[in-house]
Amino acid sequence: MPSYLSIEALTVSYGGPPVLDRVSLDVERGEMVALLGSSGCGKTTLLRAIAGFVIPDSGMILIEGRDIAHLPPEARGTAMMFQSYALWPHMSVADNIGYGLRMRSWKKDAIAERIEEMLKLLQLEGFGSRSVTQLSGGQRQRVALGRALAVSPHVLLLDEPMSNLDYKVRLELRHELRALQQRIGITAVYVTHDREEALTLSDRIAVIDTGRIVQTGAPEEIFHRPTSAFVAGFMGADNALDLILTGDGAFATGAATAGGSRVRAHFRSDAARLAPASAAASTGEDLVLQGIVAQSVYVGQGYRYRVRADGAEVWVHAPERVAEGTPACVVVPRTALLLFPQDSKPA
Amino acid sequence: MTAPMGIFRGRGVALALIAPALAVVGLFFVAPLVMSGVVAFRGKGGEFTLEHFRKSFDYYTTDLLFTLAIVLLSTLLIGLVAIAIAGYLTLGGHPRTVAVLRWLYRWPLFIPFVVAGQLMRTFLAKNGMLNHVLIGSGLIEPLSAQSLLDWRGIVVAFVWKQAPFVTLLLAGAMAAVESQHIEAARNLGARRLRVLVDIVLPQVRGTLLVGLVLSFVTMLSVLSVPLMINPNSPTMVTVDVAYRISTHGDYPVANALCLLSLALAAIGAVFYLRHAAAQVEGK
Repeated sequence: MPSYLSIEALTVSYGGPPVLDRVSLDVERGEMVALLGSSGCGKTTLLRAIAGFVIPDSGMILIEGRDIAHLPPEARGTAMMFQSYALWPHMSVADNIGYGLRMRSWKKDAIAERIEEMLKLLQLEGFGSRSVTQLSGGQRQRVALGRALAVSPHVLLLDEPMSNLDYKVRLELRHELRALQQRIGITAVYVTHDREEALTLSDRIAVIDTGRIVQTGAPEEIFHRPTSAFVAGFMGADNALDLILTGDGAFATGAATAGGSRVRAHFRSDAARLAPASAAASTGEDLVLQGIVAQSVYVGQGYRYRVRADGAEVWVHAPERVAEGTPACVVVPRTALLLFPQDSKPA
Repeated sequence: MTAPMGIFRGRGVALALIAPALAVVGLFFVAPLVMSGVVAFRGKGGEFTLEHFRKSFDYYTTDLLFTLAIVLLSTLLIGLVAIAIAGYLTLGGHPRTVAVLRWLYRWPLFIPFVVAGQLMRTFLAKNGMLNHVLIGSGLIEPLSAQSLLDWRGIVVAFVWKQAPFVTLLLAGAMAAVESQHIEAARNLGARRLRVLVDIVLPQVRGTLLVGLVLSFVTMLSVLSVPLMINPNSPTMVTVDVAYRISTHGDYPVANALCLLSLALAAIGAVFYLRHAAAQVEGK
């Protein structure tokens, strides 16, 4: 059975080099999919293409099997929540929420009823007659969500809706939004550059890099089994080393060793251990890097250390304080290493 | 004692700085206005009189109403044309058409009223270009061709000349409306025209009002257009003023008519000030 929302080989170029390059993505009914990537990667363009604000060069966007790629935005049945909320300042909260229904020629009392329902759903009861300019950031965000949900869209599109909020409000709303989405079972596509947001909010994540989807999967899968060095780095495994994997399963660092295959290794700073300097060498179990603590940063729950080791620099998390300049070694369990083949020799 | 001296000197410098501007306003604006008022209310012997106003109303009530009607109608049409052009510039779907329109619409801004009047004379006359085109394309019979050089001609000239000015202001204001506001409305099912009426226009209402008030006042003071297109009665008050002075040397009645025009302009000023006050309150 085909997916509810299906994007096939979508290419968008704005007349220059492609911003989206033959992107394909399937979203099931009731699913929340996060489009994750750094700014300029094309994730917002993909969202805007689904909404109809960007005309693709080629490819298809299907909702329940119907190609909507060339319909105007107003005929698509998608509802978008914007980064700036885009609430209309000359209208009240109720008028903002009810606008889409007015465009669908609903009767007045039906609109009023639906507005009340939305206000209740979003815990904004009694706010209907207020001007949107009098609301806090969190409340505006809810009104924007209510405006999008009121029309019961086929697909809810969210363009970094939390990025203008305080950290604390963001955390709260994140859980609220997820609970709400699951409760009403709406299909949603969520654009973000925040991996934590993507992990906590979505059923599946599509990681985008320079106009291509590089990996799609459940949050756990993306987090633990990234298929490329880019995804590993983006998901927080930002320590990167060039290693040589020798025939007997042991590691060697540096370029001196002959034989074996070159790999790019990524690991998270909290998966490694900082140990006193010793003569221990890498084994089949652990990768051991000898080095010197170059910088220490207090991060609340322990410390983060920048360790200069074997010509590379890695970050390690440790609970105790170690003075800068102390010789130390970094121990990375084999299981915490994410290894990727190297296509080309490092310069 | 240096501090008070310093303040005193500072005040002196401040006064010196605004003095030229004050002098210009006083000499060229306030003084002539006061003089005009004095002359309009002064009889032959120097006594106070309403005689000139009585005369003005006796001879020119029709022209005053004609002026008001023409200017109001023109203002309305200018508003509609400006909304249509600025709306298309903001929401239009064909980038090339938008570019051409953006380039074209400003031309009348650089053409003086007197030239606009002359253009309309050749365009709207009985043997003018408009009728030639209409007859040539078979839309009207040659015999039914009529001159449009009456009140219609004045309105056409005014709208042609002033609509670009209001469009310029309005298109600027519309461009400042957040594009996501427009996208949000389209996303919820609004077509372009609805977006214009529901979302864009309410946010640029103030600018539209200011543009229309300024046009209203400008049109009240134009002499060349009515003089060239429709100098016969009923005509606009500016023509009457010119006639009183050039033919009769009758400055008192001319001044009375000018004060009456000022009263009409004041209607526009009231709208303008109300809007400004509302904006201050809104903030």
